[in-house]
Amino acid sequence: MNLNPLRESELIETRRHFFRKSATGIGTAALASLLNPKLFASPAEPNKPNKKVDTGVVGGLPGLPHFAPKAKRVIYLFMSGAPSQLDMWDYKPQLQKWFDKDLPDSIRNGQRITTMTSGQKRFPIAPSKFKFAQHGANGTWISELLPHTASIIDDISVIKTVNTEAINHDPAITYIQTGSQLPGRPSTGSWVSYGLGSMNNNLPSFVVLHSTVNGGFGGQALYARLWGAGFLSTRYQGVSLRSTGDPVLYLSNPSGLDANMRRRMLDTLGELNDERFKSVGDPEIQSRIAQYEMAYRMQSSVPELTDIKDEPESTYELYGQEAKKPGTFAANCLLARRLAERGVRFTQIFIRQWDQHGNLPNDITRQCKIIDQPSAALIKDLKQRGMLDDTLVIWGGEFGRTVYCQGKLTRQNYGRDHHPRCFTKWMAGGGIKPGVLHGETDDFSYNVTENPVHIHDLNATILHCLGVNHERLTFKHQGRDFRLTDVHGKLVKEVLA
Amino acid sequence: MKKNFKNTIIYSFLMLALFLPTLQAEEEVDFSRDILPILSNNCFACHGPDEAERKAGLRLDLEEGAFLELKSKQRGIVKGDSSKSAVFQRLITDDPDDRMPPKETGKQLSKKEIALIKKWIDSGAKWGKHWAFVAPKKSSVPKKLPQAQAINEVDLFIQMRLKALGLSQEAEADRATLIRRLTLDLTGLPPTVQEIEKFLNDKSKNAYERVVDRLLASERYGEHMARIWLDAARYADTHGLHLDNERGIWPYRDWVINSFNKNQPFDQFTIEQLAGDLLPNSTVQQKVATGFNRCNVTTGEGGSIDAEYYVRYAVERVETTSTVWLGLTAGCSSCHDHKFDPMTQKDFYQLFSYFYSLTEAAMDRNVLYPPPSIKAPTAEQIAQQEKLNKDLQVAQKNLQSTLISLKYEDPHVGQKLDEIKKQDRVWFDDKLPEGAKPSGNELGNSWKFVDKIGKEKVFSGKNASVRTAAGLSQHFFTDAKNKLVIGKNDSLFAYVYLDPKNPPETVQLQFNAGSWEHRAFWGADKGHAPGRNNHTNLRFGKLPELGKWVRLEVPAEKVGLKPGAQLNGWAFTQYGGTVYWDKAGIVTVAPLSKEQLESLSIWEQYQAKTQYTQVPGPISAILKIQKDKRSKDQTTQLTRYYLEHVNPSTQAKLAQPRQQQETIKKKLSDIQKAIPSTLIMEDRKTPRQAYILERGEYTLKREKVDSKTPDWIAPVVKDQPANRLGLAKWLVQKDHPLTSRVTVNRFWQQLFGTGLVKTSEDFGVQGEHPTHPELLDWLSVNFIETGWDMKRFMKMLVMSATYRQSSIVQKEKLAKDPENRFYARGARFRLDAEVIRDQALRVSGLLVGTIGGKSVKPYQPPNLWKPVGFGGSNTSVFRQDKGDKLYRRSMYTFWKRTSPPPSMSTFDAPDRETCQVRRARTNTPLQALVLMNDVQFVEAARKFAERVMKEGGKTVEERLVFAFRSTLTRNPSAKEQKALLALYNASLKDYQKDKAQAVKLLSVGESPRDPSLNPEELASWTMVTHLILNLSETVTKG
Repeated sequence: MNLNPLRESELIETRRHFFRKSATGIGTAALASLLNPKLFASPAEPNKPNKKVDTGVVGGLPGLPHFAPKAKRVIYLFMSGAPSQLDMWDYKPQLQKWFDKDLPDSIRNGQRITTMTSGQKRFPIAPSKFKFAQHGANGTWISELLPHTASIIDDISVIKTVNTEAINHDPAITYIQTGSQLPGRPSTGSWVSYGLGSMNNNLPSFVVLHSTVNGGFGGQALYARLWGAGFLSTRYQGVSLRSTGDPVLYLSNPSGLDANMRRRMLDTLGELNDERFKSVGDPEIQSRIAQYEMAYRMQSSVPELTDIKDEPESTYELYGQEAKKPGTFAANCLLARRLAERGVRFTQIFIRQWDQHGNLPNDITRQCKIIDQPSAALIKDLKQRGMLDDTLVIWGGEFGRTVYCQGKLTRQNYGRDHHPRCFTKWMAGGGIKPGVLHGETDDFSYNVTENPVHIHDLNATILHCLGVNHERLTFKHQGRDFRLTDVHGKLVKEVLA
Repeated sequence: MKKNFKNTIIYSFLMLALFLPTLQAEEEVDFSRDILPILSNNCFACHGPDEAERKAGLRLDLEEGAFLELKSKQRGIVKGDSSKSAVFQRLITDDPDDRMPPKETGKQLSKKEIALIKKWIDSGAKWGKHWAFVAPKKSSVPKKLPQAQAINEVDLFIQMRLKALGLSQEAEADRATLIRRLTLDLTGLPPTVQEIEKFLNDKSKNAYERVVDRLLASERYGEHMARIWLDAARYADTHGLHLDNERGIWPYRDWVINSFNKNQPFDQFTIEQLAGDLLPNSTVQQKVATGFNRCNVTTGEGGSIDAEYYVRYAVERVETTSTVWLGLTAGCSSCHDHKFDPMTQKDFYQLFSYFYSLTEAAMDRNVLYPPPSIKAPTAEQIAQQEKLNKDLQVAQKNLQSTLISLKYEDPHVGQKLDEIKKQDRVWFDDKLPEGAKPSGNELGNSWKFVDKIGKEKVFSGKNASVRTAAGLSQHFFTDAKNKLVIGKNDSLFAYVYLDPKNPPETVQLQFNAGSWEHRAFWGADKGHAPGRNNHTNLRFGKLPELGKWVRLEVPAEKVGLKPGAQLNGWAFTQYGGTVYWDKAGIVTVAPLSKEQLESLSIWEQYQAKTQYTQVPGPISAILKIQKDKRSKDQTTQLTRYYLEHVNPSTQAKLAQPRQQQETIKKKLSDIQKAIPSTLIMEDRKTPRQAYILERGEYTLKREKVDSKTPDWIAPVVKDQPANRLGLAKWLVQKDHPLTSRVTVNRFWQQLFGTGLVKTSEDFGVQGEHPTHPELLDWLSVNFIETGWDMKRFMKMLVMSATYRQSSIVQKEKLAKDPENRFYARGARFRLDAEVIRDQALRVSGLLVGTIGGKSVKPYQPPNLWKPVGFGGSNTSVFRQDKGDKLYRRSMYTFWKRTSPPPSMSTFDAPDRETCQVRRARTNTPLQALVLMNDVQFVEAARKFAERVMKEGGKTVEERLVFAFRSTLTRNPSAKEQKALLALYNASLKDYQKDKAQAVKLLSVGESPRDPSLNPEELASWTMVTHLILNLSETVTKG
């Protein structure tokens, strides 16, 4: 569906003409609304944000950001299923001596565990089979699974003590994404869109990308609520950018209706809608005219975004050849950079299949091969483009994995159950102090011994980097002021720049 | 002064939505309207009901707290004197440390609010209760204003208020507008051209009312009302959490439709949904109704802890029930006393207790019908069953009369039957018995066959079954139709070959005669049910010899199979090794020959010799009586049995009537199988004890509590049980302050876009004050007094002049009342997602009007479920339906909670994960994309275009008018017509140049294109109808 440039300029001319000739000045109003659709936000929408005068930013709440933001945008690499901190980040060499010995009761301390292993007669320790080495200026121990990530260690800040209360995937991922284990709350990205608005009028402000693993999907389920808007307006929900079919749902014109016809249809539609506005005076109509124009512009801006033909070969040397295959984690990391370049506020990439209850060494090796190079490439790429300074990048899952083995244990093979009490995430870029290693866990990577970071703390910190006081980004719903961090959340000052 | 006041009012409602003035406002400060919201918003968090958070001993949510002496010896409020009232002084002090509310709360009182507090204290600080917690009294109806058009009481209240604001209502909208508005509002569909014509030409005085009555009587009404209710009920077709597998609960959805259509009074509607199962002699449908509280999301995620989920489900049910009937946000109180409303944690857990004792399991096990569930035949199925049962009776009579008419003479009277020998009767060899369902350790059919064993042959026929196992393993079948009847002293046999290179430790035969408790084994006691040493598992010796075929024989009696027992299944079991099995059956008496069967007397002798094991009990009883001692009846009964079931010649003569009977029985059994089940509520016999849970944590049990309703809302209803039925009756008692208000407010919201209380989910202190409190109270009392009659109530609203006004937006009114909260113009807002799609289906003629049934899967873009679905989920692959199912009303679209249909979500349909009583109405570019490009809408446009060409007249102009009117009910203006004509002509030119393009457009969607129509013209008309379906006016109710 290539636009004919000549025809296109004629059409723009026609539209200008249309707006100019409109006697009541609505044309101008409509044009202004293209730049700021919020000006015509529906009055019937509950708790709509007020209009905001701010060049370049559309929507958002008045008074936000609360203070000068360090990061303008977020890229969140979400490892769904919960990667094992013990095999990637949390180095516990002394555990080799504990092979197949029982986890001391003093460590578990009666804490609840899932019913998948609570029936086990024993909780034998499974030391990681992977080799660790020290990297970077502060000598962070990193497993051999992550050679590329090790190369960016001085640019990222690693938190080893993230923790949560949820012990199963659905509640845990809902919790970290929305601040509540139960469905119904807005996701982090939708809070950010709601509070800060969009920086690109032709693209959604919150984009979600799903990654294939070896060409297919599988693993723990994901849920629309993870990028949903909860009780916020649906306009803030994440929009999935898909690797097959229309990148944005319903983007392409139907067959037999080409771009010229679409333009003509929209011109007539605008004309008729405007007629209607003149006779009934409802400002919602103007808003709808504007939304159609934006939809039309998305029809060209989105394909331009996802068309990676213009990327030089060096891009693929950086991200890996997999980045040429749409839908892979590597391709999604590259796309995230392109989205960031275009001002998309919040991009979240999901990759599944980290739920390794058994056969962990084999599966985690596969997963790390998929994510290691592209994750590191994203940081390097943002840095070389000068964008790392104002882009916050987050890596990690919904909880960690147990030091004790689930199922059969050998030196070479083992499985791990869900572990909520400590797990590792890293953050980098805008607002984050590089090269920090934060928090310490006990010898079994079971409990936090120093500097716990609850997921509410993590979310508070994410918002802080964006110039948002997490206690003040609220939405009144059912008589109560709700926020992403519920009634909790402390900033993790140690990782802040 | 008066004039000034008016200005103040206009100013205040523009600037401060909180202070919506009321007529009575005048000079007086109203505690509930003016003061309580300020206190609640700014003070209650520290000086409210929540004891744990209370500061300085000051409590402002209760009258007795506000006037007490504080720790500081000051009084919070001194009636009549703001200068001595600490509360007021702390509002105005300059000392930033003392000033309230504290800076860190980020809250601040406006000057106006401070002035109100002062005025209130100085005028005596008259206390009151939050308005919504006082039962409504029927307000006196305002007098009719001289110039206003008032049709019923609704108008009098509304117009009185408008007068005070200096506004007046618009004239009645034109008929074309009215019929569209009304039909969309009451049925969720647009009117047909015929319906429009009929109304426009109806000269009778009550033409409008006739349309109202027709629409209320239409079954579309029930569907539309139900669709809205189902948001509140959080109805969906999947469980919602983790695997998000399919859930079978659509009979509940159909119950709701039916209830609205038969106009079930709202109190009954309430009682049945909350407690239908507890009603005395409750019907199936009353139980189905309780699906309301089985619509919550549930989990089956491995690793979850039951106790945690029992609590979560009960909490969710309290929250939902509370939002829907009480308009209160109970959820806050699950963790702590409510910060704003008087709902304490104890109140909450007492409500919680009602929902904490279900028989449901915490884990839904990802099955379609997690118990408790019930078989819920549809009305159609019940009717079919009744008819078939009648047919069956007739067929049986037919059979009987044929039987009676049969003449029979025994051809072999007096012939003696020789001694009968036992012989092998094979039950199965190369093929399993008819109907047998093969199974075993592996998923699916576990049976493997070989045609030789190395160089050895199989024992019999073409093949033998084989199994190699590491431990205990087996293959088996059940459900054989042709059952194996056990006779006296019969033995069961099978042939076995053990691989000498890999012998098993055990071989075992298991027989199913209803249960598997009939086993025989050889070798070690390592088969199923080891250690029994009785007929349920008996050892018959050591392992058979290896490397050769050996016959195993088991006397049936020894494994508990008595004469007359009937086998339907057989298992070949082993522990380890490789085992081959062949030919199995029974050693039993030889059957009679066909010729012998022709003789009743021979057959009788045979029965005696086989100990009457092959005939039903009553017949064997007769047979045991000596021939000459049998009564006439007995002889007749025996003969008839014989002729009907044994004698080959007479059986042949009965074949036709019997076939008839079998066909009916088959149909009956098919219906029985097709009857859907649905989830229902059911309480445990012994209730599960509820506790107050600290911070809502399931492990932190505190004080024990039992089911009880909060007294501060309404007193407990006498003589009602302390269960859900008592709760439901408490909700619908006459003096309940909330149920009726909350309900009529939702009806108002449905028609007018916003409720009289805007926060329709929250009538608590933090909710918005009603714009028209007197009207709200009048409506809610009226609703109760007229028997909670929903159709009557809806009729009253749509009959009002307020409803019928023109919705044209005058600039001046827009400025004064942008949200139209005072109704100086008719309601105008975007249609709901479902209505937008249904409208397109209706005007295109595609709509399939079937009501109810299993949800359907119309078009959705590919690859939506796979990227998010759990591999093992039965909803991870989307299989689009075909044919009629593509065109059902949107309320029947299969709702997968974790990936809802995007064309619905885009237009603000809620996710159905939680209860929702108010939808957002956004206006976004993604909505434009849906209407522009969704197959469903493009297909609708081209089918609509076919209608335009076939039904819309001959000329292009006529057709344009038809297309326009079919959707918008009105005629296009000259300008509109010109623009559409230009579009048509330009499109026609393009499609005539490129016919292939036209055919492509006309191939969108699965419905066939009418080949009799010229494709280029049809495609051009499609452009026109496509545009019409995209008009702002089309997606708007005006």
